[in-house]
Amino acid sequence: MPRRGSLLAYGLTRLILALPMLLILLTVVFAVLRIIPGDPIYALYGGRAPLSVIMALRHQLGLDKPYWQQYVTYIVQIFTGNFGISLGAHYGGQSVITVIVQKLPATIELSIGSMIVASTIGISVGLISGINRDKVVDVVGRLYGTTIFVIPVFWLGLMLQLLFAVDLRWLPVNSRFDISPSPPATITGLYTIDSLLAGRLDLFVIAIRHLALPCLTLGLVLSGFFAKTVRANLLRTINADYVEAARARGIKERTIISRYAFKNALIPVITVLGLEFAILFAGAVLTETTFNWDGMGRLLIDSIEVQDYPLIQGTIIIFSFIIVLISILVDILSGVIDPRVRY
Amino acid sequence: MLPMLEKRRTLAGVMSWIGLGILVAFILIAVLAPIIAPYPAVGPNSQFLTPPNPLCGACAPPSFSHWMGTDNLGQDVLTRVLWGAQTSLEVMAIGVILALAVGFPVGLYSGYVGGSIDKTILLVMDSVYAFPGLLLAALVAAMLGKGPFNIGIAITVIYIPLYYRVTRNQTLSVREETYVEAARSLGARPWTIMWLYIGYNVLITIPVIFALSAADAILTAAGLSYLGLGIQLPTPDWGLDLSVAQQFLTDGVWWTSFFPGLMIILLTVGLSFLGEGLNDLINPLLKKGRA
Repeated sequence: MPRRGSLLAYGLTRLILALPMLLILLTVVFAVLRIIPGDPIYALYGGRAPLSVIMALRHQLGLDKPYWQQYVTYIVQIFTGNFGISLGAHYGGQSVITVIVQKLPATIELSIGSMIVASTIGISVGLISGINRDKVVDVVGRLYGTTIFVIPVFWLGLMLQLLFAVDLRWLPVNSRFDISPSPPATITGLYTIDSLLAGRLDLFVIAIRHLALPCLTLGLVLSGFFAKTVRANLLRTINADYVEAARARGIKERTIISRYAFKNALIPVITVLGLEFAILFAGAVLTETTFNWDGMGRLLIDSIEVQDYPLIQGTIIIFSFIIVLISILVDILSGVIDPRVRY
Repeated sequence: MLPMLEKRRTLAGVMSWIGLGILVAFILIAVLAPIIAPYPAVGPNSQFLTPPNPLCGACAPPSFSHWMGTDNLGQDVLTRVLWGAQTSLEVMAIGVILALAVGFPVGLYSGYVGGSIDKTILLVMDSVYAFPGLLLAALVAAMLGKGPFNIGIAITVIYIPLYYRVTRNQTLSVREETYVEAARSLGARPWTIMWLYIGYNVLITIPVIFALSAADAILTAAGLSYLGLGIQLPTPDWGLDLSVAQQFLTDGVWWTSFFPGLMIILLTVGLSFLGEGLNDLINPLLKKGRA
């Protein structure tokens, strides 16, 4: 058994604690999909299919069994990686995992880009605000933090589209890539990485140009949260004893801010990051719709539209896995940076 | 220290009043929409003062007879935006009130009894809270079908954990107060203690959460409609009208998407101001009560 307080012990505990969370999420998804009235098969055929076909499909999906039996099968299938076959019009016949593997990179690329935009803008605004407490800059910064957060992400996306793509024509309106040339050969599925791996700088530029607007949209909305957290924490650390001590030793204010106050103000931001990801994914679904971005969010909404039951379930489960994974990573990361939280 | 506190408190006061003003204005708009809206909400009513745009049907830019222009079906955007307040507030009210009705009692109970029951409920609520709200709501909405009431239920799922958590945490601290101890030693029944002595004092934190979750609920409901999971055409709804407007955006038709979005922002800004203002006003009270 690793020593108490060691990083390994801490990481293992987090991992074990995350399991119930995953199980609860999976159970909630099960409850919503199976117990709420609304029959996927009926919805799929609109009551037009002959009874025998409906019965056969119900049997195939195991919907004719009692709930507890369905639940056990459901959990077993998830942990053996069997997510079933898509029923819908778009991806019918393909395995759910295959479809998701195709769509996941687009969402990852969008998420990473947005997080970069959000943290850069948010941390800068929070820092400037915090240093100039109660001055005009601070009021503007705080107002930014509060209002940017309530702007509907899809509306912001449309307005940026209108400005930068329709009026100014600086950037493409939507989608992940130009119609021609074709995107780089799939290695990771991330167009930016793939074009660099293929040594094609021109394709890389195209990919970045397409990424710019969606990432800016989502990043701006998320930046408010960062700005608020950084400002609040900076105000706390700027008056802390160790900062006061540094000031008494005659260290320059600039060094105090960057070396002492700012660094420590960033630690709680990492904890907030986990929560931020939940908002990010919700925002990604909307942003993907606005920018016709062929990712997981679009996949979920498309499958809901055609009532593609296995695909809806698969997409939501993958989202659950990612959320739980991120919460573990965030916990471990804050344990690495701040050893106090390991106890 | 004291003068600054005063200043902060007045700022919070101003914010709450502005927020409350905006909220009342929107409620009035929603109630009076049938009277104040210049045109019928559904169906073409453009006077075609300008020839119809070949790109987007009967849409026309803002003019004197249509302050916010008309949409692709020739419907007056101002009228639809005013009527949209009704749909939005209706969905929000259903969602938030239901969340309160479930989250508050469960939080009260969980905080009061404590122990493993409390831990279990907390774990479940926290797990649900960690999940992206819109995705969960989208899932429930997809199962329940469209319409204001169903969307209200769908967004309730997001806010139950929020009300639960706030109520529970507050209950945990109020439970230890001397007057609760006194009531208990005088032989008050647990039910009475829970509802009358604790519940009443926990209730003070609810307005803040109510306003903040209402702001979020407006956004989520608009998001669901925008995704095509919420309200059905031709009902006027901000999110839905935005999703229709999106098709014509590349032709430079900005007014059909700009104004519904502006309404969403105004209402959510109002509710957030109200929530954050109340938070600053109530929190010192709470701290003082604790000391």
